Amino acid sequence: MSLVNFTAREITCKIVYYGPGRSGKTTNLQYIYGRVPESRRGRMVSLATQTDRTLFFDFLPLELGSISGFSTRFQLYTVPGQSYYNATRKLVLQGADGVVFVADSQARRFDDNLESLQNLQDNLLAQGVDVRQLPAVFQYNKQDLPSDLILTQSEMDDALNFRSVQSFEADALHGHGVFETLRGLSELVLKRLAAGTAVA
Amino acid sequence: MSKVTAGLDRVTRVPGVRGALIANSADGLVVAEQLMDGVDGRAVAALAGSLIARLARTAHSAGLRPPVFVHLRGDEGSILAAPGADGLVLLAVVGREANVGLARLEMLAAAGRLA
Amino acid sequence: MRALEPWVEAPLQSFLAESSARLTLLMTSSGQVVAQHGFGRSLDIMTAAALGAGIVASTEELARLMGGSRFEALMHQGSRQSCMLSAFSTPRGRWIALVVFGPETSVGIVRLFFDAMVQQLATAAPREPVRPTPLLAEDFEHELDASLKALLGR
Repeated sequence: MSLVNFTAREITCKIVYYGPGRSGKTTNLQYIYGRVPESRRGRMVSLATQTDRTLFFDFLPLELGSISGFSTRFQLYTVPGQSYYNATRKLVLQGADGVVFVADSQARRFDDNLESLQNLQDNLLAQGVDVRQLPAVFQYNKQDLPSDLILTQSEMDDALNFRSVQSFEADALHGHGVFETLRGLSELVLKRLAAGTAVA
Repeated sequence: MSKVTAGLDRVTRVPGVRGALIANSADGLVVAEQLMDGVDGRAVAALAGSLIARLARTAHSAGLRPPVFVHLRGDEGSILAAPGADGLVLLAVVGREANVGLARLEMLAAAGRLA
Repeated sequence: MRALEPWVEAPLQSFLAESSARLTLLMTSSGQVVAQHGFGRSLDIMTAAALGAGIVASTEELARLMGGSRFEALMHQGSRQSCMLSAFSTPRGRWIALVVFGPETSVGIVRLFFDAMVQQLATAAPREPVRPTPLLAEDFEHELDASLKALLGR
């Protein structure tokens, strides 16, 4: 849940990048880390295995600047995508203000996307979070791959986006769609905050 | 450990002693204790352990040997401390009416066996 | 020392004075910072909180797996400084403390006064949390857009 400090006029929001293994969650954070001036970001923490697969989480704190007079900070987390790390995913998901679901657009990863999305819903339900109320967006990553290997945005929407939330095409490796995704979710999270539903 | 327990036994048998414990002065944690109800061994270990460690450092800085016995006297009673080997310290909580002299003798004997 | 809500300040101040801790961070169980002392950059505080909350959450899971109750505290002993992580209940939910201390104090002292702080926090917490009406101006999207553009250089 967002923390709002009315005295110091600060807002801190927790955003979680969710999705199947190797869909590009860490790549999103790495791209953001690489683009943001040092003064506006903290250290990017990656608790990864020796082969660079996320083991616990990646974490990147960002200083967004002033919004409506509130100094606004985002904490970006990724979860480990591999199915056997579910205990860890649950922990990272705790208290999330919004979720970016990073799906792999490759046709052969179709089932992995579905399984991960189902897992997200199960974990949110287990934490008593109303999935319909939680700000969420989809990012369909790897759209730069040859068209015969991937599904289009509308095909991905049909397969995953039952709630018709915002979705974004992306090529996270080169940054395409990364900004738009973060912007889309940030807006939803802050809108919810503006409505006064997530004040600590 | 039986030697340690025996030492605590002898100290707590002295009239007026409300409890005895062995603490590690470096971390202020209780190693063994025999306490009457109402005596907070954890607090005694933490505070007296810290004091003994500081006293030892102060003595060392002044070129003196570390203290062999410390008597902290308060309105309602005292805390007695006898440092032993390996950073261990034997502590006793005594009431105002306690036989401090006898307690001191028992503690020095028991502290000599601490290791 | 900074605290999100004023009632946290006195218990934390008293703990800092009594325990001689170098750094102290109080956070929610999801890693949101509630109060801190001794840290410099706010971004580093968030990182420490995220890692601290992660460690506590995973050890609690570990305890559950082993069929035991939660660990009371987790100590990391270092040669120059040590660190204590402990989760505790408050009227505002479960919080976590991360305390870093050096040889000028001891584990026993830190734990002793930490427990005292937990009790003081329980007493000091207002019965009803203050929920001022927020918050953001209606046109915050423009500011958000400008902030993100400035942030990502686009």
